[in-house]
Amino acid sequence: MPRARIFKAGVCAAFFTCVAPAFAADDIALGEYLSATCVTCHQKSGKVTGGVPSITGWPAEQFIAVMEAYRKKERENEVMRALASGLSTDDIAALAVYFRTLGPGKK
Amino acid sequence: MLINRRTLLRGSGAAAGVFVLGAPALLGQARQRVVIIGGGPGGATAAKYLAKDSEGKLDVVLVEPKKQFTTCFHSNLFLGDFKSFDEITHGYEKIAAQGVRMNHQMAGSIDRDKKEVVLADGLRLPYDRLVLSPGIDLKYDSVPGWSQQHEETMPHAWQAGDQTRLLKARLDAVPDGGTIVMIAPPNPYRCPPGPYERASMMAHVLKAKGRTKAKIVIIDPKETFSKQGLFQEGWEKYYPGMVEWLGPKVHDGLKSVDPKTNTVETGFETYKNAALVNVIPAQMAGKIARDAQLANQSGYCPIQPDSMKSTIDPNIYILGDACIAGEMPKSGFSANSQAKVAAMMIRGELLGARTFPARYANTCWSLIETGDVVKVGGAYEAKEGAIKASSTFVSKTGEDADLRKQNAQENTGWYAGIIADMFG
Repeated sequence: MPRARIFKAGVCAAFFTCVAPAFAADDIALGEYLSATCVTCHQKSGKVTGGVPSITGWPAEQFIAVMEAYRKKERENEVMRALASGLSTDDIAALAVYFRTLGPGKK
Repeated sequence: MLINRRTLLRGSGAAAGVFVLGAPALLGQARQRVVIIGGGPGGATAAKYLAKDSEGKLDVVLVEPKKQFTTCFHSNLFLGDFKSFDEITHGYEKIAAQGVRMNHQMAGSIDRDKKEVVLADGLRLPYDRLVLSPGIDLKYDSVPGWSQQHEETMPHAWQAGDQTRLLKARLDAVPDGGTIVMIAPPNPYRCPPGPYERASMMAHVLKAKGRTKAKIVIIDPKETFSKQGLFQEGWEKYYPGMVEWLGPKVHDGLKSVDPKTNTVETGFETYKNAALVNVIPAQMAGKIARDAQLANQSGYCPIQPDSMKSTIDPNIYILGDACIAGEMPKSGFSANSQAKVAAMMIRGELLGARTFPARYANTCWSLIETGDVVKVGGAYEAKEGAIKASSTFVSKTGEDADLRKQNAQENTGWYAGIIADMFG
């Protein structure tokens, strides 16, 4: 179900070829484990305080695009670049699916 | 065995669980027990994650004498009038609501052979796994002339709580023209940028009160310090002439302090009748860890980098400031990160839960002046027998003011985030 959610969206072809063979995009357990690092700053409830945005309930393809931009150092923020640099494509997809499951939360 | 355990568990409110605890775990009836010592960023996070992720399958006990925890991180912001004391103080109610059993007393010692923690009242708590997160102890004999009996006169405020409030009161009373002498600690110590953020906050308060003739002299045993260029740039920009940092080549060694006269003597100069002397001494792992022979000659505890498990005792995990975490600094963020790895590995061992390769992260934000925050941090992993950085970053001198403001907003968001993660 979560993987279907990703795949039904209009995502670029390159993304499919990267993620599909590993079948890791719906690895909620991996996503939940990796999310432990994110939720030190980004609140799991979706609540926003200060300059740390909510990352819950995003469309998975948007989450992936943003994280890939940090990983490629196209998007500014040294904390996010450092953390994204250690993530594989499958890791990012697993995170996207996990945070999607949390819903949008309180703004 | 059963009777013994029942006796041991008296008062813990676990009467129903007593008999199954005595039964072999393999029968699948027993809830195995994880005892956590220390309710700071390492211990509180480990307790919460163990309880939450095991969904009641583990008996999780957090031993912490305090009912309220004041964070060392952001205690400098309290000194600088950016936060109230209440804002950096948090209760354990929501951790308890996750299913963690709170035990508000001091853990006295660890009986590693019996796998029991001996509490201050003599009660023995058996454990299947122990998480040790006791933080630091101060080396009271590391500064000549200073000792524990002088910590009221010359406060350290390196363990947050009453000391933090004392230092704040003393700071607020520093007159214009008064001198603050800070004795900085040698490596390794809790929160590498902490002393220098503190000096910034001291200068901020004095400046805000119009006491710009007051001065902060930092006597440092280290040749260099964390974010040095960034702090020194900030001090010159915001607090010209107010903060003077002296490395060992300049001060030629700290000779002694005299709490009776508030005097600090170095090889270079003697500071008499200082308005405030803030002694941040050398540090080591908390006593309970050292007494249990879990520390090495460095005074800190070696751990396996892929799990946070003690290299000395496979039933014990050691987190935060007390452990030797390779390239990770001693920080609340680091302890929180390490706790999540340990919690996962313990669930793997005791419940057969799935585990993943350890990943760690840290960032330390430091406030120099209103809206000007610098940061240092990285991502870490187990590599070649140690925790090593896979990617690091640090703010740069001469950065754009907007970027520093973003850092300030991040710092605010991070604090709310880690508190929600630990205590929420």
